[in-house]
Amino acid sequence: MTDTTTPHRGRSSGGLFATIDFSAPRHRAKFGYLLLAPAVLLMAVIIVYPILLSVSISMQDVRIARIGDGAEPWTLENYQWLFGSGETWHALWVTFKLVAVVGGLSVIIGFATAMLVNQKFRGRAAARLFVALPWAVPEVVATVIWAWMLDSSFGLVNWLLMRSGMVSEPIAFGSDPNAAFAAVCFVMIWKGYPLMSIMLLAGLQSIPEEQYQAAKVDGAGVWQRFWYITLPNMLPVVGVTLVMTTLWVFRDFAIIHVLTQGGPLGATTTLSILTYEQSFEFFRMGQGAAVGVLTMVLCAVISRALVGRMAKSVH
Amino acid sequence: MQKRHPLGTFALYATVIVTCALLLFPIYWMVVTALQPSSNLRAYPPQFWPTDPQWNVFADLLAKHPFMLWFSNTILIAFATMTISLAVSILAAYALSRFRLRGGQGLGLFILTSKMLPATLLIIPLFAIFRSTGLVGSLWSVVIAQATLIVPFCTWMLKGYFDTMPPELEQAALVDGCSPLGTIWRIVLPVAAPGLAATALYAFVVSWSDFLFGRTFLTTTDESWTLQMGIASLKGEFVTEWNVIMAGSIMASIPIIIVYLFLERFLVGGLAAGSEK
Repeated sequence: MTDTTTPHRGRSSGGLFATIDFSAPRHRAKFGYLLLAPAVLLMAVIIVYPILLSVSISMQDVRIARIGDGAEPWTLENYQWLFGSGETWHALWVTFKLVAVVGGLSVIIGFATAMLVNQKFRGRAAARLFVALPWAVPEVVATVIWAWMLDSSFGLVNWLLMRSGMVSEPIAFGSDPNAAFAAVCFVMIWKGYPLMSIMLLAGLQSIPEEQYQAAKVDGAGVWQRFWYITLPNMLPVVGVTLVMTTLWVFRDFAIIHVLTQGGPLGATTTLSILTYEQSFEFFRMGQGAAVGVLTMVLCAVISRALVGRMAKSVH
Repeated sequence: MQKRHPLGTFALYATVIVTCALLLFPIYWMVVTALQPSSNLRAYPPQFWPTDPQWNVFADLLAKHPFMLWFSNTILIAFATMTISLAVSILAAYALSRFRLRGGQGLGLFILTSKMLPATLLIIPLFAIFRSTGLVGSLWSVVIAQATLIVPFCTWMLKGYFDTMPPELEQAALVDGCSPLGTIWRIVLPVAAPGLAATALYAFVVSWSDFLFGRTFLTTTDESWTLQMGIASLKGEFVTEWNVIMAGSIMASIPIIIVYLFLERFLVGGLAAGSEK
């Protein structure tokens, strides 16, 4: 069965690889490229080409985009609209506000829950399971649950607020711009803190126990240990999770679309929502693509921080 | 660790229980609302325990909406996406982890960056492509669109996992005459099972939860919708029947909550391995 004169051929008899022995050192690289090929092809077709296409669409006066429709002449009109209209700047402002509130509050809640379930107690595994559970709830489901809890007539939150005397009449989360913004924040924080707490917990577990013991020997109290050991050790992880949350808020669509559709009066229209609105509600895909390209550039700038850190592990 | 003061222990447990209760309350409220008779939903004060659970709300849901179709569409999409993404990313991640390839570093960076693309931008060119190829309205359009986001992340997660595995086993298998693909199949994949489970779970959950791609590409008839689109449309109806919506939400989240409960420990390990780089 095995040809004794070419022992390298070995078991690779038959099939696709019969002719090249990929375990031989000089063919190792070829095998690597072969393994990469499906991913590279797929990404060229479904990521690289669409990105180039969207840049091209953003420079054409296109209403409903299609391929091979006789290309429109290239123009910068969409970008003139992009930077000239108040809509873009407003959406940018809303996006940054949302990033600040959601990022800030979910890192605090995530850190607190991570610290809590990092303590030693019975049922810790179950508690870890539970605090991260909202991560698995689909965004649309999370949004409709909160929409019901925040309902202006029969919602639980308004009942609680009235009962405790904090407001005298129900808050209209659907029609008041500030309240609608707050509603979006609630859902995003509830959906976003679990991933934070999972990653921060992993960070906490990687802090060497010796550092705490040494600090204890030196007489450091709980707060001093937190301030001088936990925080400095955790800063890189906090940075990564913050960047990830920022990117998520920048790109998220489902929560805002289902909860407020970007309203009222554009109070919750982020760049993502604006992109969709222009392209698939007003059918001005050229302008939509211009907003999208701006979002992509901003995301790329933000993610530099993340990529820089993670790229160290790419050899 | 020295012994904790009993009062401290009590405080710890109390904090844990209160925190979990607060954070999980929306899920509880979903279940309670689904089971209330619709007249109770407008009750004042709200009822916190379903004294008279109405199980026929699920039958109502199935009778009024093509819910089972949405369910099967979602399952088909999620499985197709998971299978395709895993197959492609296992090979790519293995190559990136074990071979020093020219352009490998650039590809790694590209994968990282494409994780961060805004999906609302991608749908514009994808819509144009699907319109030209007649894929609009087909479930495949959603599978392909989801692969744009899932393949890069899966590749990244799996590469991180393969990096933690010692290459000696594979070298031994190769020396013993196992073919390179056979080595991946018989040696690498079984050892990497926890990482694969985490990645598969991630792909499944992301795909199951998708709303944007379905909303954009599957709008033709409500029979091609996914669960998330169906639930979102229920909320948009003129009279909002919250108990029916919540019943739908329960059915739309139970499968992935079960998957999550089984595979959580793998997921935490997998995500943690990715974040500690």
